[in-house]
Amino acid sequence: MQTIELNKVRKMYDQFVAVNDLTFSIEQGGVFGLLGPNGAGKTSTIRMMIGITAPDSGQINMFGKPFERKSLQKVGYLPEERGLYKKMKILDQLVFLGELHGMEASAARQAALVWCRRLEIDAWLQKKVEELSKGMQQKIQFIAALLHDPDFIIMDEPFFGLDPVNAALLKDVMLDLKKKGKTILFSTHRMDQVEKLCDSICIINKGNAVLQGDLKQVKAGYGKNNVQIQYEGDGAFLENNSLVETYNNYGNYVEVRMASGADPQQLLRMAAEKSRISRFELMEPSLEEIFIEVVGKNDA
Amino acid sequence: MMHNIFIIARREYLERVRTRAFVIMTIFIPALMFGVTVLPSLIAMRMTGGSKHLVVAASDRQMAELIRDQLQKPRDDGEELQGRNKSAGSKYDVEVDTNVSDSERAALNDKVKQKRLDGVIWATDEALAANKIPYITRDVSNLSDTFGTQQVVSRAIHRRLLQKKGLSDTEIESALKPVGMEMLSPTGEGAKNPLLTFFTVFGMVMVMYMTVLLYGINVMRAVLDEKTSRIMEVMLSTATAKEMMIGKILGVGAVGLTQIAIWTATTGLLSAPGLIAGSGMIKGIISIKLGIFFPIFFLLGFMLYSTMYAAIGAMVNSEQEAQQLQFLVAMPLIASIIVLVQILQNPATPLATWASIFPLTAPLVMFTRIALDQTQSIPSWQIALSIGLLVATIYGLMVLCGRIYRIGILMYGKKPTLPEIMKWIRYA
Repeated sequence: MQTIELNKVRKMYDQFVAVNDLTFSIEQGGVFGLLGPNGAGKTSTIRMMIGITAPDSGQINMFGKPFERKSLQKVGYLPEERGLYKKMKILDQLVFLGELHGMEASAARQAALVWCRRLEIDAWLQKKVEELSKGMQQKIQFIAALLHDPDFIIMDEPFFGLDPVNAALLKDVMLDLKKKGKTILFSTHRMDQVEKLCDSICIINKGNAVLQGDLKQVKAGYGKNNVQIQYEGDGAFLENNSLVETYNNYGNYVEVRMASGADPQQLLRMAAEKSRISRFELMEPSLEEIFIEVVGKNDA
Repeated sequence: MMHNIFIIARREYLERVRTRAFVIMTIFIPALMFGVTVLPSLIAMRMTGGSKHLVVAASDRQMAELIRDQLQKPRDDGEELQGRNKSAGSKYDVEVDTNVSDSERAALNDKVKQKRLDGVIWATDEALAANKIPYITRDVSNLSDTFGTQQVVSRAIHRRLLQKKGLSDTEIESALKPVGMEMLSPTGEGAKNPLLTFFTVFGMVMVMYMTVLLYGINVMRAVLDEKTSRIMEVMLSTATAKEMMIGKILGVGAVGLTQIAIWTATTGLLSAPGLIAGSGMIKGIISIKLGIFFPIFFLLGFMLYSTMYAAIGAMVNSEQEAQQLQFLVAMPLIASIIVLVQILQNPATPLATWASIFPLTAPLVMFTRIALDQTQSIPSWQIALSIGLLVATIYGLMVLCGRIYRIGILMYGKKPTLPEIMKWIRYA
């Protein structure tokens, strides 16, 4: 079953097209990356999915049926704009948000305790939000989105402002949820952080989907035209080489992007003539490179 | 829908009632009221509590004695003098002096100056002929004392004049008996104490006005708070903007009602002995009519204005930005008070009728008209129309402000212009 399905969804603000006939769907249990630069229409798309705004045209199905507010009780949403009631105690706040998601107060309390223990903030349950550090507030925010055991989890820029320890903690939680068969949507412009988590992606730019599909297939489609070379000696073979489109030289280590149609073997031979090669590896493009290329082309 | 509104309203209520600000306000306002109303008269009572030592100088000894007797007589015999009440009245210790020479006057004057004497009433024949009696006192600005003394003295002089005409004491008594007036409505209904009615109605209207304004602004602050804490979007993933707005209004409103209930109960308890004593009188004023219409117009007024305040809270980013808009919303309330001043004098003008039907002024004005209307002269269709229009306006405003709210709460940054707000209303 598809957890969420968008079919030619369009949103306009005045004359500005924020989301232009966007179509994608996420299989149940899938981890999906909605990627795009700032202002691409990611948040607008999410807001339509959860009924904060209505699409001007197109169709959104959630859990296999047209959008209805009741479905939202099974959705967990971490907005990009983080916020909590500053003067409210942590536990009260979580129970309140749990109740809004249709939980009984006692069940919400129980779940809050379990989550706070897991994220190691159970000592702070009776404190007010304003007394907490930024990192702890982030944790509370995550718990608020996950408390009611949602089937569909939407996270807008989840790693933004997280220190490495908390980022790792969150990633573990996400992997765990994935194992449990939850559907997860990440929306971000930081590709490196979601690359390892996502099964499929959709890159949008200026409201248009510019690339989408299974992450492995997307990468395969871009071919292995990246080369990492570790060498000693003269790096001059890189200069004025028609085989090379761009490169990043780190001294005795260089990342090369091949010109389209160029044969990496030819580059290897040229390099071997002038220097000692200790490593030569064909690489898959990173999501970030694909992103930059696609979005850059789209902007040009 | 109802479930979410309830949860949101309950959170708003509990979080507010638990704050120190609520406790302070609940105690402080009655304390302030007490300070302003009761304390001065308590102080005044204490100040005038001691007895005053006066000298009445008159060549006519009988006249002087009459004045003395009148001053010293306890005034509980139905001849209650206006402008001073029994409890606050001073006790007098009066001496009679028949020496009316200039030197005596100078001597008495010195005594007053040296505080060996509190006052001198110089009721000489010349003074009587001129209809102006000098009253030498250090306390020249004490209005109630001067007024009271003047009445007593003039009463004594009248009495003396009638005595001289040869009237008997009973004849004088009946001649001087003050005549009262009883207000009767054409329906034959007994009149209520007009002064007390006036103050009760005025008090209720002021409570309504203050609470609507105060808690309306509280609703605005609550929305603004939520906006600046950026929790809106988390909330919006389960609750609609309309649910959030209505929940907020109801929650804050319930806090206001709690506060009023606490004040009413405290006042009731504190003044219980007085209430039992004067229960007949009170019953006449706090009629069932007021008991029904006060809550109706209070709630409608509160809903009306808080909806507008909620929309303002959604539109702006800070309280400074809200100031101008806040004033715009408060204007009809202030206008109501201005109209009220007129209505209190004459409840039957066309202005009163229109202001009591126009929804923005109706809560205060219609309630006042109903409260002051002792002859049931307001056609019931006017009351029905007024309430009906109010309910319709509140509904319309909720839809309209709900749209502004829905877009506004997710808008940060610059303050929207009027055309932008119109666009929000159309697009939402």
